[in-house]
Amino acid sequence: MIYDKSFDVIVVGGGHAGTEAALAAARTGASTLLITHNIETLGQMSCNPAIGGIGKGHLVKEIDALGGVMAKAIDHSGIHFRRLNASKGPAVRATRAQADRTLYKNYVRCQLENQDLLQIFQQSVDDLILQQDKVVGVVTQMGLQFNAKSVVLTAGTFLDGKIHIGLSSYSGGRAGDPPSIGLSERLRELPFNVERLKTGTPPRIDARSINFKELEPQHGDSPVPVFSFTGKASQHPQQIPCHITHTNKRTHEIISGGLDRSPMFSGIIEGVGPRYCPSIEDKITRFSERDSHQIFIEPEGLETFEVYPNGISTSLPFDVQMAFVRSIKGFENAHITRPGYAIEYDYFDPRELKASLETRHIQGLFFAGQINGTTGYEEAAAQGLIAGLNAALLVQEKESWSPSRNESYIGVMIDDLITRGTQEPYRMFTSRAEYRLILREDNADLRLSEKAHELGLLSDALWQLTATKRDLINLEIERMKSSWVQSNSPSAQKINQLLEKPLSREYSQMDLLKRPQLDYAALVEAIPGVGDGLPEPVKEQVEIQAKYAGYIDRQLDEIERNKKQQNLKIPAQLDFSKIGGLSNEIIQKLSDTRPETIGQASRISGITPAAISMLLITIKKRKIRLSGTESSDTESLSVNPKVEQS
Amino acid sequence: MTQNQSTIVALATPPGKGGVAIVRVSGPLSRDITSKILGKSLTPRQATYLPFIDRSGQQLDVGIAIFFQGPHSFTGEDVVEFQGHGGPVVMDMLMESILQCGASLARPGEFSERAFYNDKMDLTQAEAIADIIDSGSKQAAISALRSLNGEFSNKVHLLVEKVVQLRIFVEAAIDFPEEEIDFLADDNVVSQLTDIIQDLAELMRNAQQGSLLREGMKVVIAGKPNAGKSSLLNALSGKQSAIVTDIAGTTRDVLTEQISIDGLPLHIIDTAGLRKAKDKVEQIGIERATREIEQADRVLLVVDAAEEKIEDVEQTLSKLLDSDISLPPVTQIRNKCDLTGELPDVCESENLVTVTMSASELTGLDLLKQHLKRVIGYNASESGVFMARRRHIDALTRASEHLDTGYAQLTGMAAGEILAEELKLTQNCLNEITGEFTSDDLLGKIFSSFCIGK
Repeated sequence: MIYDKSFDVIVVGGGHAGTEAALAAARTGASTLLITHNIETLGQMSCNPAIGGIGKGHLVKEIDALGGVMAKAIDHSGIHFRRLNASKGPAVRATRAQADRTLYKNYVRCQLENQDLLQIFQQSVDDLILQQDKVVGVVTQMGLQFNAKSVVLTAGTFLDGKIHIGLSSYSGGRAGDPPSIGLSERLRELPFNVERLKTGTPPRIDARSINFKELEPQHGDSPVPVFSFTGKASQHPQQIPCHITHTNKRTHEIISGGLDRSPMFSGIIEGVGPRYCPSIEDKITRFSERDSHQIFIEPEGLETFEVYPNGISTSLPFDVQMAFVRSIKGFENAHITRPGYAIEYDYFDPRELKASLETRHIQGLFFAGQINGTTGYEEAAAQGLIAGLNAALLVQEKESWSPSRNESYIGVMIDDLITRGTQEPYRMFTSRAEYRLILREDNADLRLSEKAHELGLLSDALWQLTATKRDLINLEIERMKSSWVQSNSPSAQKINQLLEKPLSREYSQMDLLKRPQLDYAALVEAIPGVGDGLPEPVKEQVEIQAKYAGYIDRQLDEIERNKKQQNLKIPAQLDFSKIGGLSNEIIQKLSDTRPETIGQASRISGITPAAISMLLITIKKRKIRLSGTESSDTESLSVNPKVEQS
Repeated sequence: MTQNQSTIVALATPPGKGGVAIVRVSGPLSRDITSKILGKSLTPRQATYLPFIDRSGQQLDVGIAIFFQGPHSFTGEDVVEFQGHGGPVVMDMLMESILQCGASLARPGEFSERAFYNDKMDLTQAEAIADIIDSGSKQAAISALRSLNGEFSNKVHLLVEKVVQLRIFVEAAIDFPEEEIDFLADDNVVSQLTDIIQDLAELMRNAQQGSLLREGMKVVIAGKPNAGKSSLLNALSGKQSAIVTDIAGTTRDVLTEQISIDGLPLHIIDTAGLRKAKDKVEQIGIERATREIEQADRVLLVVDAAEEKIEDVEQTLSKLLDSDISLPPVTQIRNKCDLTGELPDVCESENLVTVTMSASELTGLDLLKQHLKRVIGYNASESGVFMARRRHIDALTRASEHLDTGYAQLTGMAAGEILAEELKLTQNCLNEITGEFTSDDLLGKIFSSFCIGK
């Protein structure tokens, strides 16, 4: 049967990508349906119970700036918060929290259920309804048809998922859930390039069987950090510590003894696993010189005794898992509640996506999350938000939007994926971002909220908060640039105590703040009236902008210089093989990736500056040839600042 | 487009000893550069004949300059063209002065590229430009390859490898703070960084030497009045460049002569005799002599063989100069050996070379020339000496500045992320020399070097 209501956007999947996609689409005014195989697992954390970290925390703050739910959910469910890299500079500081899984899930579900224009339906999706190369709806397991103008697919690891423990394997979407085999088969019939990836989890342990007295506790930071720009520490539930233990020689011997029954080492698993998240058997094989590896014992929640021993992900047979776990300090009598396992799943080559995350082959079909080859809740959520937004924009016949590399980590991730593809599960790191000093956790709101408001993702009230903050920052910077400290004033005397050489002439407050020995607090102390009535985040921004001033200017210059070329659109119909002077290899690479802009083309590996010049000339020649005859085409060749705005 | 663009400079005529050479500048700084080099601004599109001067006020050349105000120019930006006398050395000095004003060296085809962006081309031209850019990049590749053979190339590559190695540590410490690998906190990173800074300094010294071979060594003739300095200049240049009299203090200003010994370029600079002068003009001459000595690659200290025997040349020179400057290497010329009856000779002691000769009789002149050829690095197989173009030195200089800043940030403020940024910029500069811009897989190297992952 056909469901009686037609939707603007259907989101398939209720994980971190799916929930953000559904919320974003509905917030921008699209009537949205979220279909999940199980309503009880909406917003479920399938892997370790933590949000954030280096690079990932940056993504969470950006999701928050774009009106997403992730930061607020973790603020209401985090039971252990830390600020990583606190001893390093602000650009690379990042927030991370352990979550109570149940509280997290409940918060997300509550947001979904309270979102206007959003409906939820429980049933597996087995098929897509296509009209030529356009998607118009989905079919569920029981044959129910839902019609929609666009569909966002966020199937996670469920597409033909295969779980391995030792030499035995079975089909599954994650431990305890069925896989989506029908949908996987259907998608394999479509012109997508499908590959396999692998990921894994450690065995979970009953905390009551762990001897914590033997273990080193690790407490959260004080004052307790928050994720959301509107978050408060008072929203956090009770805070509890994590613990640290280590593997030892005996552990490694046991693991080595079981390698002949490892699905990874015996060649059963074909999918590629992430290098930064290796299984314990991988670690001891590749780094055999180390006789100990660290394990973080992460609590799963306040109301459960289960813990997640992070660092010993494994797909060894269960008897080996039991033996090596019990060789670890504190785990001598450990009871494993769930065995560790590896999971193989389908993903689609993300180079077949547009920056909007719409597939190039099927109009109206968007992909987000692990099916694009990424790993991590934050990476999935960020893609979900962008895919959901663009699915809605498509229905509303508005221009698509995706943030650029120079304004967000989300932009870095999407550009990396669609330009270079990925050979292993893609995770965010700060070293992936060339404008790292600009893309900080602390200014995600200043970078993205205005656009989010314009797109309808952020309410007037929330945008107003950021706008006020931005204005206060600018005013304060202007004031400090034109406020002078005389070398013989009482203020200078206080400041001199912090300096190696006393001030010899008058300086603006801004120039003083740029000095390494001085911070904003020192100026508040020394100069009457400075900082009066200014909120802490404003002072923080002024200080960071002063400290990074030269670097920020240089990076902004570079961005501005490259802008015209970066954003120059490559016509979708352009036949790369007709461009003279390009090698076959380069033609192949361009044809495979089909870059949307010159900037994207230049980032494809192996594309030379000379090739880019040829591309530019070809576009220009077309423009000259077409000028006057087809104005619409000419327009698509010109720079469109709305597409990638910095 | 014209805003926020860099200003670029390049030799628009083929390098070599042409009759006329054109240096072209394009970009927002063009107007500013015009007035700095010419001392005045120009009426657009009007050829003006006037001297080109460098930052210290020294005349580089006299030639024709034309200013084109954007968009009415080849590139569509403000453009200025300096047409000079084509000596490679003079043109190079002009380029250097322009670089000092804030311009950067143009990539091959970059002028055409800008013209193209700024809609200064029709269809046919655009097609022609494609070929130019294509062949330009090939030419650049070939010439880069030529100047990059052997040792210099190896050393740059080695340095890049060391920078990448250090970046692996720094990036790993930033992206994986919980993996018990906080390298920023231990001395390892500082010592690796110091090592790289030293290597780069060494490379720059070598590159500078290499460029002496290509761009000419600056040799200053100095000494007391009437020691025979001007005679030496005339002897070396083979013509009467300087007026020679018996009267001490005849040469009152700096005189420059370009000569070549077996094709190796030399800039010989004759200076006023060094003494306590009461005459205002002579005083200025001595000040200029001091400045020339400071900038020289080598000083020929001329002494009258009949009058004195010098033990400590450097001290003597410092005393004569009456100022505390760091001295370049010195060769002592015991002149007028015809009067003392000494035989022409080259004598090398530990850190001093003494050439005994007579400039007026031209005896021992060949010995001096051989000596100069040797110090210029003529023996190309000699270790540590290689060819390097201004582009290389420019890139090395910028790389060195980034390393210094990175070092200061790390040691002063423990700012690892800024060190990381500076190392990235350093690598970019070095890549300009090798022409290799392939993005290296830093993360991949991190994962294969350290056990990452919980």
